[in-house]
Amino acid sequence: MTTTKAHGPTAKMDIRGVSKTFDTRAGAVHALDRCDLAIREGEFVVVVGPSGCGKSTLMMIAAGLEAPSTGQILVDGKPAGPAGPQRTVVFQRFALFPSETVAQNIAFGLRVAGVDRAERARRVTEQLEFMRLSQFRDAYPHELSGGMQQRVAIARALVVRPEILLMDEPFGALDAQTRTVLQEEVARLSREMNYTVMFITHSVEEAVYLGDRVVVMSSRPGRIKKEIAIPRDAGWRRLDIEEASSEPGFIELKREIWALIRTEIVRQ
Amino acid sequence: MTTIAAPMASRPRRAPLSPPLVYGAAAIAFLLVLWFAATAIPGVVSNKVLPSPFDVVERFATLAADTFSGSTLFGHAAASLTRWLIGVTVAVGLGVPLGVLLAWLPPLRPAVTPVFELFRYIPPFAWVPIAVLWYGASTTTQAMIVFIAAFPACVINTQLGVAQVDSILLRAAKTLGAGAATTLSRVVLPVAAPAIFTGIRIAFSNGWMALVGAELVVGKQGLGFLISQGQINDSVSTILVGMITIGALGALIDVVLQRVQRLLLPWKSATTRPVA
Repeated sequence: MTTTKAHGPTAKMDIRGVSKTFDTRAGAVHALDRCDLAIREGEFVVVVGPSGCGKSTLMMIAAGLEAPSTGQILVDGKPAGPAGPQRTVVFQRFALFPSETVAQNIAFGLRVAGVDRAERARRVTEQLEFMRLSQFRDAYPHELSGGMQQRVAIARALVVRPEILLMDEPFGALDAQTRTVLQEEVARLSREMNYTVMFITHSVEEAVYLGDRVVVMSSRPGRIKKEIAIPRDAGWRRLDIEEASSEPGFIELKREIWALIRTEIVRQ
Repeated sequence: MTTIAAPMASRPRRAPLSPPLVYGAAAIAFLLVLWFAATAIPGVVSNKVLPSPFDVVERFATLAADTFSGSTLFGHAAASLTRWLIGVTVAVGLGVPLGVLLAWLPPLRPAVTPVFELFRYIPPFAWVPIAVLWYGASTTTQAMIVFIAAFPACVINTQLGVAQVDSILLRAAKTLGAGAATTLSRVVLPVAAPAIFTGIRIAFSNGWMALVGAELVVGKQGLGFLISQGQINDSVSTILVGMITIGALGALIDVVLQRVQRLLLPWKSATTRPVA
């Protein structure tokens, strides 16, 4: 059903034939069905789909936090193994460590990896500046707004220099204004640093705005239904999301993707 | 946390007394007045039944200076505090790790829980006779009663606290490369710490109360022993001095522990005012 352009040695992360069945009291739930998805180095792939389609499950499997029933995850052509800093995750609910300050949260992965104190301090400071968090370095998570907390979570995930950044509906718990600001921030980030990102959302607008490629999933059991490339050189790339979303090319893509999702919602 | 401090004029000024403190002091003063009135107005309560507050203060001074039933008041208090400290230290030292294990390794639970529940419903005082047979009228006996009274609260609250740590934090730690030991020490224990502290607080007060009870029955020193001697000597004021000391020391222990908690868990007591 899908022909992924990126199959082969060029894929940074390769999700191959991943299925997932959960055993529940009501019987087996078939959540994912033979999903194939290859993500190239430096590519920003956004996965969209109706709620309950298993996109979060797919990401947890990609992260190594859940085991697939069949299939495998390859990074640079090798089995990815258990969860680790090679693939860091930004969760919808931030998941910051409440007993640690912003700087300590960001330093967590570096300390675990045994990075020495001086190098750690340097990289944390750099990351704080990059995410515009410097003035909050000694604050505790509960003292920050949701948007700030999610910036910290992104910084914490990036500072360990992962091969791939996994973002699981990272802006789903934020208010509309904060979300807009962070969407633009992440767009800037991926432009400047060329990260490899797998991003999950249910917002089609967000998908078109951020993605190099949008992957639409079917309703349960989740399959990869269609992949849509978003031109890198699209005129609205450098606009803010408000302006971009009124550009004809943007509207056209949004409509196309939304039509695909709508079919899936109706089919449920 | 200088970066988030509210920009306030830094004029040194004496902190005003907080209303709770004022109300608390007023209530205690009111009780004292009531007590005094009851003893001062003839025909309300005989001094034999309830001595006046001044008699008790006088008795306090005497007991503090002179030996009564083997020790001064401070000697009795020190004996009680020593036994209590030994008992609660062992209870916390064993109870908190056991609570962590029970929460962290679920297969242990069905094995340990029934035994634990059975022992939990044997009141600490029911252990006094066997403790006396094992250890005589010694510090060990008293400390054992303290331990038995304090142990369950440590285990149960630690287990609850650890079990309630949001699993998303464990996942986050895992993706950042943390192993089980790091996750336990840097994520789970700090997050569970308030619950563990609650357990320790309950354990401390349970242990203190059980100790005084045990001292009434067995031993030759301690605050419980002091009040039982007061009864034998028909001295209500001695009993009252003992009771008030027991209450005051118990309250003091609690205040100290709360201070320690605030020191150790700055992120819990910090302002909840969002700054961004």
